Amino acid sequence: MPYLWLLPSIVLIAVFVVYPIIIVFRMSFSEITKSGIVGDFIGFRNYTDAVALPAFGVVMKNTFWWVISVVGLSTLLGIIIALVLNEEFRGRKLVRAVLIFPWATSLVIQASVWNYIIKYEYGNLNNVLLNLGIIRQAINFRSSYQIEFIWECAVGIFVTIPFVTFCVLSGLQSIDDSLYEAARVDGASFRYSLFHITLPLVKPSLTVSTVLNIIYVFNSFPIIYTMTKGAPANKTDTMITYLYMLSFYDRKKGPATALSVIGFVILCICAGIYMMTVMRKEETL
Amino acid sequence: MKKVIALLLASAMAFSLTACAGVAPATVAPAEETAASADEAAAPAEETAAPAASGDEITLDVIICQYGPNTNDWFLRGSTGMDGTNFTEKFEQENPGIKLNLEVVSWNDVYTVVDTRIANGNAPDILNIDVFANYANEGLLLPVSDYCPEDLYKDFFPSFIEQSVIDDTVWAVPDLASARALFYNVDMLEEVGVEVPTTWAELEDVSQAILDYYDGEVYPWGIDMTTDEGQAAFAYYTWGNGGGFVDADGNWAVNTPENVEAIEYAIGLVDKGFTNPNPATQTRYDLQDMFAAGKLAMIIAPNQLPTYVADKGGSINMATASLPANEGKKSSSVGVMDRVMAFKDDSAPDQAARNEAIGKFLSFFYDPENYVGWVSMEGFLPAVNSAVEALVASDESFAAWLSVLDSCQFYPAAKAEWDQVKQGVIAAEQNALAGADVKAELDALQEQLP
Repeated sequence: MPYLWLLPSIVLIAVFVVYPIIIVFRMSFSEITKSGIVGDFIGFRNYTDAVALPAFGVVMKNTFWWVISVVGLSTLLGIIIALVLNEEFRGRKLVRAVLIFPWATSLVIQASVWNYIIKYEYGNLNNVLLNLGIIRQAINFRSSYQIEFIWECAVGIFVTIPFVTFCVLSGLQSIDDSLYEAARVDGASFRYSLFHITLPLVKPSLTVSTVLNIIYVFNSFPIIYTMTKGAPANKTDTMITYLYMLSFYDRKKGPATALSVIGFVILCICAGIYMMTVMRKEETL
Repeated sequence: MKKVIALLLASAMAFSLTACAGVAPATVAPAEETAASADEAAAPAEETAAPAASGDEITLDVIICQYGPNTNDWFLRGSTGMDGTNFTEKFEQENPGIKLNLEVVSWNDVYTVVDTRIANGNAPDILNIDVFANYANEGLLLPVSDYCPEDLYKDFFPSFIEQSVIDDTVWAVPDLASARALFYNVDMLEEVGVEVPTTWAELEDVSQAILDYYDGEVYPWGIDMTTDEGQAAFAYYTWGNGGGFVDADGNWAVNTPENVEAIEYAIGLVDKGFTNPNPATQTRYDLQDMFAAGKLAMIIAPNQLPTYVADKGGSINMATASLPANEGKKSSSVGVMDRVMAFKDDSAPDQAARNEAIGKFLSFFYDPENYVGWVSMEGFLPAVNSAVEALVASDESFAAWLSVLDSCQFYPAAKAEWDQVKQGVIAAEQNALAGADVKAELDALQEQLP
């Protein structure tokens, strides 16, 4: 009987999740023409081709830093903002509402807006700084691709913070005030209650948000595609944007499919390791 | 137990998210695409139901690229572009028995849409796009002679038709063209007191003068080496130095000394501060905006630039000149051409009738009554002789551009490796901008080519 109730979701998952995954796995072991026609089985050649691509190393390194910096910093900042928003103050509701904007706006729009903000020629940031007299001459905020990549990470962090904040906030609100009262009676400092009451109790929601974030951020396409399209020469690409460029600009569809399977496996491993460590710790607690 | 369930749920979620994103380029885009076309397809399907009994009804799937804000209106919805009707409506009225399932797709998406449709065995009947070699080489296209009426075929500019030939077979017909020229801000050059440059050495002198006069507030020269159109920059400079993508026999020759010198010269312009600062990410449209705002003195742009600037609300006193070439080398203009092609469909019950329908579509499209409006609406140059007279009568500047078009060189888009070369020269330029050695980059690219 329970399976009957689960049937609709099982069918949906099978059609929209499992089936495409199977197709991509099959494609990654097949020859694919430039126009996208799937041909014969060729074993691991797409994979060896993908790894041998000159940009592969740079792209993997970028992907690593992209995920680490965006997930890490947005989690850190998200926790801090959530702690602030958990305090009582006037206008708290308004701040909470405003905070959701970056998360709710389409990423393409966000990235385009940031493109305008940091534009050298008539960007808002330069205009504001010039008008305030902070700088005398417009600054080229995109003077090298390393700096452009940092901007992309910054935009990634900016749009990810709200998600972390709301996850943590929901955890914070479920903590019983009596715990803090008891701690205060026993003379616990703010630091002590932060590390021994707050953080352990929001850990479950933090775990969920971090795992989801790793997946979202790893797979995030619009920011990089809108801001640099990976230029110069794939030096600001992450794996997801690179495999798109590979497939539809370079028309190397075989290696592109192989890359997407590699990405899938990496994500499974990351999520798996994270979940396991967290679970083991919880069990030993 | 709860934890196990939680873990399961979380990993299921992870799975579902990766599945969506991981295959995004392959499946999500077409899903949107088919969702969009499903509505459109639904209507003609109902309509075809009744006359299908006669067995004569043919539906053509057509994909048209979006050239500008008016494309959609003109082809599909509007009642403004074509005397109170639109292309699809008018065509179906004049050609009973042929239905059009026409979609206008943006240039950003069209490769994704077409490739996915081909991969799913659902290629369009008629496609308007720039490239054709891959489709022809993979045996997906019908030869033009199978469907194009003879009098229409004779109407195309022969030099255009030549650009779509592989193994002595014509695989596509040109739909329109544009030509690139040097546009300069007349007032600015007059104020600085310089003439428009014709050689590379003059270009550097003029740039230095503009830079000095405006104290860096104006960029003298625009360069676009972006992932979108960096191959155009390669053409501008190498063709202006007697080089190019291919040698005299039509074989790939991207690493010739002329090409290396040309690209080093272009990178040198950037390094000396004569250009916009970020050529790897500043597209031609960014440059055109700067030109319209009076922040850029000279730009290589297509013939529609005056319309573009006017649309942006700019009022620049501009004039055109030939692209500067290296001392003693011939200046060469760059022509860009798009194409219309027809895909094979082995499932069509009556191939002859289908070919005839495709022919009728082309005849209707290139009928001066329709075609002149289409070409002039977006400010392009025509691909057929019969449109020239009317276009020249409507706008005198067309005559000058048509003569430029005569001397244009085109990209070697008929060669099978064109995609690779195009992306390869862009990557070489972008690497060179980031400090790499031009010769080493081009040597590496040439080594991969046959």
